[in-house]
Amino acid sequence: MPYELFEVDKEIPERKNHTYVKDLADPTGEIPKCNTKTVPGCMTERGCAFAGVKGVITGAVKDVVHVVHSPVGCTTYGCGSKRYPTSPDLPNGDKIPVDQFNLKYIMGTDLKESDVVFGGMKKLRQSILEAAKEFPFVTAIYTYATCTTGLIGDDMDAVAKELSEEIGKDVIAFNAPGFSGPTQSKGHHVGNFTLFNKLVGTKEPPETTPYDINLIGEYNIDGDLWVLQKYFEEIGINILSTFTGDCSHDEICWMHRAKLSLVRCQRSATYIADLIEEKYNIPYIKVDFFGPKYCAENLMAVAKHFGLEENAQKLIDREMAKIQPKLDFYREKLEGKTLWVFSGGPKNWHLPEPLKEHLGMETVAVSTMFEHEDGYEKIKERVGEGTVIVDDPNSLELEEIIDVYKPDIILSGIKEKYIAHKLGVPCVLIHSYENGPYMGFEGFLNLAQDIYASIYNPVWNMLEFEETIEDEEETSKEEVKGKISETGTNVPKAKEEEVL
Amino acid sequence: MSCANVMKRDRTAVINPLVTCQPMGAMYAVAGIRRGLPLVHGSQGCSTFVRYSFSRHFREPSEIAVTSLHEDAAVFGGRKNLISGIGNLAVRFKPSVIGAISTCSSEIIGDDMEGFIKIAKEELKQKIGEEKAEKIKIVPISTPSFVETHFKGYDNGINALVNNLAQDPEDSNEKVNIIPGIVNPGDIREIKHIMGLMGIDGIILTDISDPFDSPLRPSTTETRPFYPKGGTTLEEIEDSSNSLGTIALCGYAGSGALSLEKKYEVPAAVGPIPIGVKNTDNFLRNLKKFTDTEIPDSVLDERGLLIDSMADLASRYLFGRKVAIFGDPAISAGIARFVCELGMIPSVVCTGVENPEFVSEMKKVAKESDEPVDVMIGSDLRALEVKLEEEPVEMMIGHSDGRLFAKHLDIPLVRVGYPVYDRAGYHRVPIVGYNGSVNLIDRITNTVFDKYYADEHWKLQQ
Repeated sequence: MPYELFEVDKEIPERKNHTYVKDLADPTGEIPKCNTKTVPGCMTERGCAFAGVKGVITGAVKDVVHVVHSPVGCTTYGCGSKRYPTSPDLPNGDKIPVDQFNLKYIMGTDLKESDVVFGGMKKLRQSILEAAKEFPFVTAIYTYATCTTGLIGDDMDAVAKELSEEIGKDVIAFNAPGFSGPTQSKGHHVGNFTLFNKLVGTKEPPETTPYDINLIGEYNIDGDLWVLQKYFEEIGINILSTFTGDCSHDEICWMHRAKLSLVRCQRSATYIADLIEEKYNIPYIKVDFFGPKYCAENLMAVAKHFGLEENAQKLIDREMAKIQPKLDFYREKLEGKTLWVFSGGPKNWHLPEPLKEHLGMETVAVSTMFEHEDGYEKIKERVGEGTVIVDDPNSLELEEIIDVYKPDIILSGIKEKYIAHKLGVPCVLIHSYENGPYMGFEGFLNLAQDIYASIYNPVWNMLEFEETIEDEEETSKEEVKGKISETGTNVPKAKEEEVL
Repeated sequence: MSCANVMKRDRTAVINPLVTCQPMGAMYAVAGIRRGLPLVHGSQGCSTFVRYSFSRHFREPSEIAVTSLHEDAAVFGGRKNLISGIGNLAVRFKPSVIGAISTCSSEIIGDDMEGFIKIAKEELKQKIGEEKAEKIKIVPISTPSFVETHFKGYDNGINALVNNLAQDPEDSNEKVNIIPGIVNPGDIREIKHIMGLMGIDGIILTDISDPFDSPLRPSTTETRPFYPKGGTTLEEIEDSSNSLGTIALCGYAGSGALSLEKKYEVPAAVGPIPIGVKNTDNFLRNLKKFTDTEIPDSVLDERGLLIDSMADLASRYLFGRKVAIFGDPAISAGIARFVCELGMIPSVVCTGVENPEFVSEMKKVAKESDEPVDVMIGSDLRALEVKLEEEPVEMMIGHSDGRLFAKHLDIPLVRVGYPVYDRAGYHRVPIVGYNGSVNLIDRITNTVFDKYYADEHWKLQQ
């Protein structure tokens, strides 16, 4: 049977369907159950739909002000939490007067008890007007539903429509209350459809070229987009719109004028590429720029579409030559090390192959918090025999996976990072990165450097105090690691008698 | 004439809030219990954002469970989610205390948390037996997000724990209860250090000092489930009714102390937070009052070290400099008083809450400083930014969220409070007590050096 129930899950057997161990002998088509509700009472790593739309998609747009229609908490948490840097340049040559405006400011309606009783529409209206007054230079105002708005039933679209006319700027309402959908993925979905329905096709770009693309699903985490932008420029391809890293509001409005769409994060943004293809006949290709090989293959595929293969080949050869010596060094250090990738969605099938191909690292476990069926199929294709694939793992499972699969390193987010440390396993952040960018040729070296620095951090050799050291020769890292995992199995499993 | 000019936010919208919503405070309160688990009755974002925020500040794991409310619960209520959530948490994690924390969604749909918890307890008894089930305490904590702020949530959390768990009094335990407020591990350790020097045993309600700053020792770390070291034990909370008194270090965290006073005649003292000389003196007098312990020389020597550093530094480098202070109301008020003791001027003190104790404390500060103090209540960071743009100060003291506009206005920022995510170790270093105040004066003075004196400046020679 390809499905396994973790020991820690014996009380919630429904979790069994979410854990699949890759077995080549098994019939195809089996994947972990996914995109369903989390079992209540779990320490899940998932977020809410509001996090999906504001945190992932719209938070990267540089020239809009966000008004969160919520009690104060959602507004507080909605600010500057993801590393989406922006340049101040706008497509018309102007500059936004505030540097990194998208990371600096957030507004909220600060809903109180009386608003919950009598409705919050008045406050929303007033707050949007104040937003226009406070930041007169913004191109548009985005406003968000939250759990409270969803439950009291405020009609945000009506307010947005009315104020668009009154202010003379786009006011867009995103109706993804926190409780909608099982994960933040619902927020991505709503974000895509809203932006497509309200914006795409409403404005024309200042100029177009035969080489215009939409780069969709690239949010410029730690400057990822800027790495790719450089490559495309050199090849002769023009990024007309990004969705939504370092993006201006207007760029979204003219996505219909590109010749080709590329979809980078295929979980959060394929929707809009599909919609654009359907309505405007603009084809899209799915791309992946993690790791030199994928990066080269995908740049070439895009270049081919425009007949620019030569330029691409020149760039690829040069960049490969540049990074090869360092890549060789990291490979020598990291070959045979095992890892666990725990990402939101696509990094699970983006990362294992490059890490294997270029660094010789083995992926022993992958897990995601909001992947859907299509993603799991790809993950399954790309990982090796025996790899465990877990949908929405919770904290107890995390401990068991570390114990059973013994990864040398975990690539995940900040909520998992420190518990991994407590169990003696290093962790590299791959949601917001440690020292990114991680995209493209040089980006992969940054990732390799962070993995190397984490695994070879001398601290992991000093976790335990040793009473005596038998010989003076330095204990090798492998030996120490062995000792830890031995003691690891004797670790006091939570002492039942303490409570029960 | 000195006065406190109280100003409220003059906008409907909040821009870059200085506060968050109630549930976060309750989660912080429950996290300080040994094998205590917060269970948030709300959407997944309600736990995820807080875990993210705690981990970012403390650089520690933060385990918070959630009942994962979705559309069906929004329509039919969250009864099933809460009951099964409690069941799963109890059997899988074997906690001592589950704090069931409400949110905006569970409050709006009108879930009867207390009623559901009763049913959950019954189910648990059938599942694991009466004796085992009785050992897991489940405390409902009502924290509607659309009322007040996380400070109130903390107060409600501690109050609910005391009210639900404290046992009928027996013999005195000769201890003093301390409700620390939303402070850092270093602060709680400093309070324990002072009490240790005085020979007074304490019950910290609740003690996050170890849970949010715990050792990395894989061979002794409990796993499956992972529980951090330390925290207040259930027995200690039960025993809090036998204490000699309760000191709430923050003005906003007094409800638990007052409940113990009313129900069990444990006398209460609420605030001010012991930052600076007079406030720490006040804390010691409270300890003395409840325990009849003489203040030992060791503590007076620590006081002397603070006074000594003030004598060395204050008049020459700090006197007359204007400061803007923002963040937690109690900590801001404490720091405002301390900067007055240093001869500095707290020109602006800004907080996100509207709290009468805060205003009266600030009036006292204005009187002591003999300078006008602009007190911004229910305010936000944008309002402070605009204010400082018009009336600049020489230094800002507050948390990391003010870093961007501090940089923009070219005002140095001394980081204190929560959250501080762009500097290392600030959660370990106390700002309370005499030692904490020494840390603060060093931090403030070195910031003045960095900003207002070139390294080679002849004025930095003695």
